[in-house]
Order: sequence, then structure tokens, then C-alpha cells
Amino acid sequence: MGLTSEIIIERLGTYLSGVAGCPVNVSNVFKLSGGAIQENWAVDADVRSGDWAGQHWLVMRCDAPSGVATSHSRVEEFTLLKAAHEVGVVVPVPCFVCDDASVLGRRFFVMHRVSGMAAGHKLARQEISPGLGYELGRNLARIHSIDPSRKDLAFLGTPPMYPAQSAITTYLKYLDDLEQGHPAIEWGLNWLGDHAPDPVQPVLCHRDYRTGNYMVDDGKLMAVLDWEFAGWSDPMEDIAWFCAKCWRFGANEREGGGVTSREDFYQGYEEQSGHTIDRDGVYYWEVMAHVRWAVIACQQAARHVSGEERSLELALTAHVVPELELEILRMTEPKNA
Amino acid sequence: MRDRPSGAELLDIAREVLRDKITPDLTPDCRYDALMVANAMAIVMRQVEAGEQGQADERQALSKILGMEGDPDMLNTELANRIRFGDAANPATWKVLHDIALARVVESNPKYL
Repeated sequence: MGLTSEIIIERLGTYLSGVAGCPVNVSNVFKLSGGAIQENWAVDADVRSGDWAGQHWLVMRCDAPSGVATSHSRVEEFTLLKAAHEVGVVVPVPCFVCDDASVLGRRFFVMHRVSGMAAGHKLARQEISPGLGYELGRNLARIHSIDPSRKDLAFLGTPPMYPAQSAITTYLKYLDDLEQGHPAIEWGLNWLGDHAPDPVQPVLCHRDYRTGNYMVDDGKLMAVLDWEFAGWSDPMEDIAWFCAKCWRFGANEREGGGVTSREDFYQGYEEQSGHTIDRDGVYYWEVMAHVRWAVIACQQAARHVSGEERSLELALTAHVVPELELEILRMTEPKNA
Repeated sequence: MRDRPSGAELLDIAREVLRDKITPDLTPDCRYDALMVANAMAIVMRQVEAGEQGQADERQALSKILGMEGDPDMLNTELANRIRFGDAANPATWKVLHDIALARVVESNPKYL
């Protein structure tokens, strides 16, 4: 069933009135752009009395009708947001989750609406905002302060003993599901197998912490979004994903996600975490970042080519693969080539 | 012989109209779509201009290093298998893969180089 603003105004209004214990008027509902798997709706809620009295600018996040069940559920995502919020990560403040699908036809949660812009290609063209890179580093260190001992995050499963090996195994399997062989990506995976770092204590990793997935307003970090891939891993994976050349949106000289210098980002991370970043480890995981994105891009291309989901965006993603392959090869050149 | 403008030249001017005349008046959502269309046209244009030589070169390089004939699909899959099982992870393979990737980037996104 497709949601409409009328349905949301009526049903969410009734539901929120029940939660708040007083009349809640819902208005100004409109769908926010982006999100093939999830839908985000802007919602204004006017709470008439009680603890939450006042006007609230919110986002209601729910599964899209065609949502594939590969990422975390909305309930799990809400739990992740809460955990992150508790340790001071800048996120949209999570309000409450509704596990009852009968209210809107899908499970959903509600969080604060954050101002700003996430578009990577625009952020990478703006002047460097002083302090943004440092704050992005500090913020990531706060995410990494969460460890697998947390009972509420048990749904993330058992932490892998060898995160790099687990990733390699996963991507090899993804490649096996594709019709055509990809020798350059195999080359990368072979190199990754030979150069795996010593295992470290896994921590909570966002696993999609990159420009495009956080909001910036007037040069200030407002919120880290898109928690659906979060899991236990080597913290260097997140640092590398953020810095990898494939996520700089063309601003290659700004090695911190196209928006900052690598040094500023590292400084924020190291000061907040109290740990020195393992530079070799980051290099290793940057190779992994290109491999991961290349494998995903091949999968997206296959979805279009097979006719499963015709889309120009998916079709164009196929043409990102060559530059990812070139980067993988450049980073793993044998000494006597 | 076909008359000029050639297919590539037609695509080029069509893309210019799309980008400079149509796109600025569109809503942000449609503008994003239009830019994707322009990008797709640019890739096709470069493929048309490059012709089939690159494909033939790739096939020949793969055949040579594998010591076998076949279509590009089959050769790529064969090399992928050999690399996975550790039989081809050597500098000569790297050179072939690098040259192929480079030739592909020239068509897909020359700005990357």
C-alpha cells in the first residue's frame, strides 16, 4: 500500500495523541527525497499539553513498499540511533519506534528533523569549513566507543574474529552470484587475502560513514544518517571508507571525504579516541573500500541488465566500475611490474 | 558511407541542447535525471568514437596471457578463476588488467585520469 500525506496526518495524529496522552495535531506532511529501500516523511506535530507540549519538526522513517529485507529493520535502526545518541554521536534525535504494523501498514520510527544538506557532489564543491573535518573525526571515534558487550545491540550478531577475512568471503560470494567474471576485482581480493592486518577488537562500525550520508548546515555537522549497514568490525574500515578516493566526489586533493584534509579528520579521531590511527591499516581498508564499492556497483548493474529493476541510475553505476578497478590495481601494483 | 554528422557528432549536439537549454528549466528532481541522461549519452558517444579496437585489444591481451581463445566474457571469467585460485597473481597479469582498466576508464570517465 502506498502511503499518502492524508493517511499519515490522520493515522499518525491519532497514534501520537495516544502516545502523548493529549491531542496532537499533525500537519505539513511531505515525502523527503532519496531512499529506495526506506521512505522518509517530514511531519510537523503540534502537541497541545503535557511533557512534550509544543511544536515538533520530525521525520517519520518507514520501509518502502518494495523494500528488500537485506538491511536492519526499522526497530533495529532505531536502537542503533539511540545507542549512538547516548554516547554523543551527532544523529537525528530518535523519539520513539512503532513496532505495530497496523498503524501505518508498516513499522516506523520518528526522529527529529535536521536542517542542512547531505549531497556529496555539492559539499565537495564548497569551500572547506573549518572544524568540519575535525568534528567528523571526533564523531566517528564516538561511534567506535561502542563495543559488542552491549546487550541492546545483540541483534548485530557475533563480532567477527577476523573482520577483513569475513569481508573478503562475503565479496567473493557476491561475485559468484554474478554471471560474468571480474578479474580486476579478484586481483584486489587476492591482494587483500595476502595482506590482511592482525585482528583487532571489533567495535561498532557505521559501515557507510561517508560524504553524502551526513547533513551539514552552514559548515556545521548536523547529523549522521543511514545506519542500515552498521555492524561489528575493524574501526579502520570506517576511517578508510570515509577517506577512500571513490568517495571524494571529484575533490581528490581533499582526502577526507572531499570536504576536509585527511589530517584534520585524523586529528579529531585521535584526540577523541585516544588511539593513534594505524596508517597501514587504513591503506589496506581503502583497497577494501574500492573492492566493496566495485562489487556493489556490479550487483546494481546486474539488477538493471537482468531486467529485475530497470533504472538509469543503476545502469550508470556499471560505468563507475572501471575507475574503481583502476584504483584497486594502482594501489596493489606489484613491486617488479 | 554515412553522411555527416556522424552518430557521435549527433549525440554530441543533442547532449549540448539537453544540458544547456533543457536542463536549467527543470525541477531539481528532473534536473538530476537529465544530467544522468547527458552522462549516459557522453559514454555512448565515447564508445562510438572509439569503435571496436579497444574490445579487440582486450580480447587479444587476455588470450595471450591465458594461452587460449574465446569470447571476452569467457576469457574474463577464466582469468578471474585463475586469480582466485592463485595461479595468475603475477606482475604480467597486473599489467594486462591495468591496461584494460585504463582503456575502459577512457570511455567511462576520462576525467578520472
